[in-house]
Amino acid sequence: MPTLKKIFLVFLKIGTFAFGGVYSMIPFFERELVDKRKWITHDEFVESLAIGQMTPGPPIVNTGICIGYKLRQLKGALTATLGQSFTGTLLAILLAAFYLHTKDNPLLQSVMKGVAAAVVGLLASIVYKMLIKLVTEYRSAALAAGAFIALDIFKVNPIAIILAAGLLGLVLYRRA
Amino acid sequence: MELLKMAGILFVINALTIGGGYAMIPMLQREFVNNYHWLTNKEFIDAIAIGQVTPGPLTVMNAFLGFKIGGLAGALIAMAASYLPCIIIVTLVTKFYLRYKELWLVMASFAGIKPAIVGLLAAVLIFLSQSSITGSLTKGIAVVSFALLTFTKIDPSLIIIASGIIGAFLL
Repeated sequence: MPTLKKIFLVFLKIGTFAFGGVYSMIPFFERELVDKRKWITHDEFVESLAIGQMTPGPPIVNTGICIGYKLRQLKGALTATLGQSFTGTLLAILLAAFYLHTKDNPLLQSVMKGVAAAVVGLLASIVYKMLIKLVTEYRSAALAAGAFIALDIFKVNPIAIILAAGLLGLVLYRRA
Repeated sequence: MELLKMAGILFVINALTIGGGYAMIPMLQREFVNNYHWLTNKEFIDAIAIGQVTPGPLTVMNAFLGFKIGGLAGALIAMAASYLPCIIIVTLVTKFYLRYKELWLVMASFAGIKPAIVGLLAAVLIFLSQSSITGSLTKGIAVVSFALLTFTKIDPSLIIIASGIIGAFLL
């Protein structure tokens, strides 16, 4: 049974080298936890991934919480979260401090104009990929279109839209 | 008081972030920019970029939002409030896995929420592009970023950093 310190350090490593989106972390995760340290079996890992996918929040962090819980219950879950989010949070805080201090600097403003344009491209790519994957028949198409119209035209609060979509899902996908 | 309100909002938003971190964006934009005016639209876009270039999930952008509202304490409270729903829900599900797996209620409601998030993100995308796409160069950056991210496996952080460098020289 690994100590909390060991759990923290492994998840710190996983959280620190996870550039480029969460899915890059999965092979790394498996190598560290299943092959190298044998803390969990391959089946437990797959089960943790499944739980990570079907719970709200970032799937990979949720997978980590699940593995942490399997190892050392609630303490393990908290330690895994802390380790996984440590580096990213620290960097985000440093960048935020720097950004808010130099916000009026003309060079930074130029940099951020380029960055903002890339964010639009990035979001467009996410929307495109999600559209292909998730909008596959008339029900999902209606839900996507309905949510779009509710926000874009009627300015309904997105929290309300998501709750409504969840309720509609219960009606539309009852037999799924 | 402000931080408490922020924590409550982040808790709710993260509990509803289904099907990946991007689901947060329409909700965050509404609450942090439109409702409470804690950030400008431009700062919000920059926060997304920072969430993307930092390691780990997009949730890390919430540390930026919290820092803007309440400094270091704000950032830490924001992260705690963001991960608290995950910790509660995942530990409960891990404990009662078999019962949860058979729970059609969860599957059916998620099946409804995921496509709705596509619609919400599309609406937010239109809104954000109005302030970010200001000329032919920004349009070009957006189109090239879209193409690279959609059709290659290039790391999104690299695209954001490269676009920042292009911006420094040309914008």
